Amino acid sequence: MDYFSFFDLPRKLTLDVAALEKQFYVLSRKLHPDRFASKPVAEQEAALAQSSLLNDAYRTLKDPILRTQYLLTLEGVELEEQSKAATDAARASGEQKKQIVPPELLEEVFELNMQLQEMRAANQMGEDEPELRRDLMTAKDSFDAKMVETQAELEGLWSAWDSGVDAGDEEAKLRARDAMVVLLNKRSYLRNLVRDVNEALGR
Amino acid sequence: MAYSDKVVDHYNHPRNVGTLDKSAAEVGTGLVGAPECGDVMRLQIRVNPETNVIEDAKFKTFGCGSAIASSSLATEWVKGKTIDEALAITNTDIVKELALPPVKIHCSVLAEDAIRAAIGDWKKKNNVAETASVAVAH
Ligand code: FES
Repeated sequence: MDYFSFFDLPRKLTLDVAALEKQFYVLSRKLHPDRFASKPVAEQEAALAQSSLLNDAYRTLKDPILRTQYLLTLEGVELEEQSKAATDAARASGEQKKQIVPPELLEEVFELNMQLQEMRAANQMGEDEPELRRDLMTAKDSFDAKMVETQAELEGLWSAWDSGVDAGDEEAKLRARDAMVVLLNKRSYLRNLVRDVNEALGR
Repeated sequence: MAYSDKVVDHYNHPRNVGTLDKSAAEVGTGLVGAPECGDVMRLQIRVNPETNVIEDAKFKTFGCGSAIASSSLATEWVKGKTIDEALAITNTDIVKELALPPVKIHCSVLAEDAIRAAIGDWKKKNNVAETASVAVAH
């Protein structure tokens, strides 16, 4: 059973997290081991299995990114497989493999990583590099802003997906699905950078 | 997860870390990323224009241990090979050599992508047709 149907939800992405939480607590109580203490072992085990499914389902669905990724796997997207298949195809044809994210983003990510490394080295030597620190702060602001943008874009795609579901429009769903894949790919670089910059700046 | 000895060795003593002059005609640069994890890798080659032999290779990888080991190994392997020989290296070769577990296959894919991207860049700079063996009309 998939997580959406576990909570009796349609396979849509815009989701009332507060309502989900409430339902989670209701179900948790219902499945609580104490209630099964005097029941036959088979029933106890079934309740236990249900309750671990409940926990997984809740943890996945309440988080916007995990929820999106989960839906994409349900819709048959295997990110890793795609990338490897593209490499195999490039080898066979001799054509260049198209990188999923734009080259400018890769350049930016790479450059920032170089700066981060410098910053870390300086930190280790107990030196402060005010100029480098300033550069990194600026970069951090720009990446933070991009993360916010990405989130807004993602929510837009959720709506596109959801209306596709409502209208039974398979093509609209496919379009939204593919756009979400591209967006999540971009996001993984941004997420790492934000994490690493924060770490290097020491907070 | 335990890394194999070879991965640990490359990780602790990476070969050929560094930078080649990106603007030089005989240098090809490949910058690639693995969206699964957000790791990035740059691999550069210097090709002898007379013989098409890769005379030097450098890499810089921001990523996991397997990605660092894969790119380190890739630079070792391409050195001394001709362009066509280097194109024959596959991620499966790297997986075997480093005994990478299935969850780390994408790290070796990244290294193969980097080799191909570097060669592609060099070919573009030097007006060499994209494919040597198979003729593809452009
Ligand atoms: S985990 Fe990303 S390249 Fe290895």
